[in-house]
Amino acid sequence: MNVTAAKSLGPQSIAAAAMKQTQPAHIAATNVAVDFIVSGRRQRVLHDVNLAVPKGSFVSLIGPSGCGKSTLLKVMAGLIEPSQGDIRVAGIRPQEAVKSRLIGLVFQDATLLPWKNAIENAAFLLMTADETMKKSDAMDRAAEKLRLVGLTGAEKKMPSQLSGGMRQRVAIARALALDPEVLLMDEPFGALDAITREEMSECLLDIWERTGKTVVLVTHSIDEAVLLSREVHVMGTGPARIIETLPITVPHPRNEESYSDPAFTAAESRLRSLLIESHRRTR
Amino acid sequence: MSEIAAEETTAKELAGSRVWRGLKEVLPAIALSAAILILWEAFIRIFDVATFVLPAPSAIVVSLIKNRASLAVATQATAFEIFFGFVLAAIVGVMVALLIVRFERFGRALYPLIVLFQNVPKVALAPIFILWFGFELTPKILLIVVIAFFPVTIDMLAGLQSVEPSFVSLMRSVGASKNKIMLRVRIPHSLPHLMAGLKVAITFSVIGAIVGEFAGANRGLGYVIQFASTQLDTPLIFAALLVVSALGLAFYYVVEFAERLLVPWAPKYDPIQLNG
Repeated sequence: MNVTAAKSLGPQSIAAAAMKQTQPAHIAATNVAVDFIVSGRRQRVLHDVNLAVPKGSFVSLIGPSGCGKSTLLKVMAGLIEPSQGDIRVAGIRPQEAVKSRLIGLVFQDATLLPWKNAIENAAFLLMTADETMKKSDAMDRAAEKLRLVGLTGAEKKMPSQLSGGMRQRVAIARALALDPEVLLMDEPFGALDAITREEMSECLLDIWERTGKTVVLVTHSIDEAVLLSREVHVMGTGPARIIETLPITVPHPRNEESYSDPAFTAAESRLRSLLIESHRRTR
Repeated sequence: MSEIAAEETTAKELAGSRVWRGLKEVLPAIALSAAILILWEAFIRIFDVATFVLPAPSAIVVSLIKNRASLAVATQATAFEIFFGFVLAAIVGVMVALLIVRFERFGRALYPLIVLFQNVPKVALAPIFILWFGFELTPKILLIVVIAFFPVTIDMLAGLQSVEPSFVSLMRSVGASKNKIMLRVRIPHSLPHLMAGLKVAITFSVIGAIVGEFAGANRGLGYVIQFASTQLDTPLIFAALLVVSALGLAFYYVVEFAERLLVPWAPKYDPIQLNG
């Protein structure tokens, strides 16, 4: 599908330009800036972001705290209106895209409803989004997505009976049940332990390969970003913006063995030095 | 065969241990109560305290038995007031909380007034309510409402705020309106908090009923207490107090039972042993 992006190994600006020419971006940000009013003063929390995510791609936003990566994700989700510039998801404004159920969201906390079991939680957003849908249809769809995230057999469990990883799987199933074209994830595995995190990364990779959704992942983890992404946008502070875009050329299909791929280690060390640099600048 | 028998004994042992564990939980309370009663009885007998000053537990029990018919009638009247007052206080408390969050500007105006009103000594309102509404049921129920709605409102407000902001974002992301988020997410989320508020409110309701009856009534346990005090019938005062406490206890556990039934997901905790 996205051959151009994978092949263009040249400087990132050329790669980005090539991408823009060959296919319209699924998510496109043009000169996006966001200002917040903090105690009466206008503060720029995101500075002039240009970004093009091709359809079916997997991109990560990585950077130190306060670099605006979550803000950028919220702009894509239509939860924050940009103060400047233009943002399009599937060619339309995010608020419109949301209404057409093109966007699925996953946050760091699974935020399951404690009075509903796993399958009811997975069906909840779908049933909220589509009032006309029959309950049994929504449940069927939720069951299918729970299977996709590897939770078959746990449908009737209450959130309090699920582990952190399992709860997050339900949250992913809940987003997938909307059958969105775009999956926006804000540090979805941030609260999990290292091993569960790796398991979840592989689960997500598997889902992405099977469904071909466009995924934007906000993460703190370099490993996670490299293993999962086609492209990593490194963000920095002062002012908060994208400082570099790094294509990840680790061959697909990716799995545990990808960690030792030369392309993986190269990307990893490049990202690490970029992050260290941006951290230093923050201080 | 022998295996089944073995299993049976384990089941029996388990049931036995559960009874034993339950017993062990209430045993300290029973022991302490018994000790206090024995000391009390001994104190009265040794120092020969006059009954109208402080009756011995045995005298209270005698009075309780002797006056059981009139106490039963009074209990019925007071229980009726508590029940209706509490239900009304719960409805008013919930409504006020919902109005405050639904109409923000109105809420900003109302909230400080409610807090201010909470600091008015409610006991002082009782004579006014009697003046306005007479000696019947209305002033008692009204007094219960003004005393008991506050914890309901405050806990309901806390409950409505207990939803994670990211979940609200999620709901907004599928185009859910404010009302829908309120109905489907915020209100169910607030239920454990609401039940905590109701548990406080039910104890306040008992106080409200007695205070209301003190201020002016011709029936009820509060009336019995006041009548007994004019007669210097101290054992009857204590007997009525005992019945009031038992009534309050019963009401409290009804609310707690309702909580377990309605909000099974509410966090369960031991009020005595610190967590962690």
